Amino acid sequence: MFKDLDPILHSQLRLSIMSLLISVKEAEFTFIKEKTNATAGNLSVQVQKLKDVQYVEVKKEFKDNYPLTTLSITPIGIKAFEQYVKDLQQYLQVK
Amino acid sequence: MTPDKKFTEQESLELITSMIQKAKDNFHERGTSAILWGTVVGFCGLFSYLKLQFKIDTGSFDVWFLTLAAIVPQIYLSLKESKNVKVKTHTQEALNAVWLVYGITIFGVVAYGNIVPGATDEILKMANKMLLQKDMITGEVLPIKAQVYSQSSLLLLVYAFPTLVTGMVKKFKPMLYGAIICYILFVLSLFTQLKYDMLFNGVAGIINWLIPGIILRNKYLKGKSSL
Repeated sequence: MFKDLDPILHSQLRLSIMSLLISVKEAEFTFIKEKTNATAGNLSVQVQKLKDVQYVEVKKEFKDNYPLTTLSITPIGIKAFEQYVKDLQQYLQVK
Repeated sequence: MTPDKKFTEQESLELITSMIQKAKDNFHERGTSAILWGTVVGFCGLFSYLKLQFKIDTGSFDVWFLTLAAIVPQIYLSLKESKNVKVKTHTQEALNAVWLVYGITIFGVVAYGNIVPGATDEILKMANKMLLQKDMITGEVLPIKAQVYSQSSLLLLVYAFPTLVTGMVKKFKPMLYGAIICYILFVLSLFTQLKYDMLFNGVAGIINWLIPGIILRNKYLKGKSSL
């Protein structure tokens, strides 16, 4: 019996954000934007969705008088990501 | 990249792999600090060797003061690099902790070398004693500055090293406090007699490891029983 893949993570941009954040402690919004080639608007919407389910933490502060947004994965996010990879492996083993 | 584009499981796995690789590719050590310190310490060491080997008179100039001067560009480089850093990794944070504690240790060793001889003189004076050096040929006896090697002081400095790194990396406050107390004990030990140094070693063992160890053990047992 297969579990449905987490719909929050089974989306290209959101999965990209989570995959980048899983390997680091925290990353600036501009870094994620650069690596995913997404537009700032798109990225903001998807980050908000991840934030709503508490998969990521968003920190907003000022650095040299410029707004700085930093993202990091939460323990809930790590668990969800690990579960997503496990479910994915199950699908792939059967195919 | 479109936000909600659906894709196959295979594509999903490939995406995860490529993003993790992209994150990894971003981390390159610039090596600036290593070059700076390698040059300064290398120059000072070789210069001192040549000075002693060829008996070069440089007056009161001590070449090792250059290491103090190198702190200024190091601070500038650190600030500049931290401004350009867009990503913080767990590995980088751990390495930063190691190098920071190494810096504290070097500072402690230098302080040790500067303070202990004078403090030892004072301790000897209080016991109505002094150190003398006898010339075996002329028979001349002269007072000398004490260079008593106090292993127990240096051990305190070494004890604090792994404790502070672990405390910083794991964000484990009992070890952070333990290491800070260990540094305080190290400074005190520079001015005290051996018996007190031994007392400080005992206190350091309890505060540095025994107490944090008991806290960790209790946490582990709690976690085990809740499974």
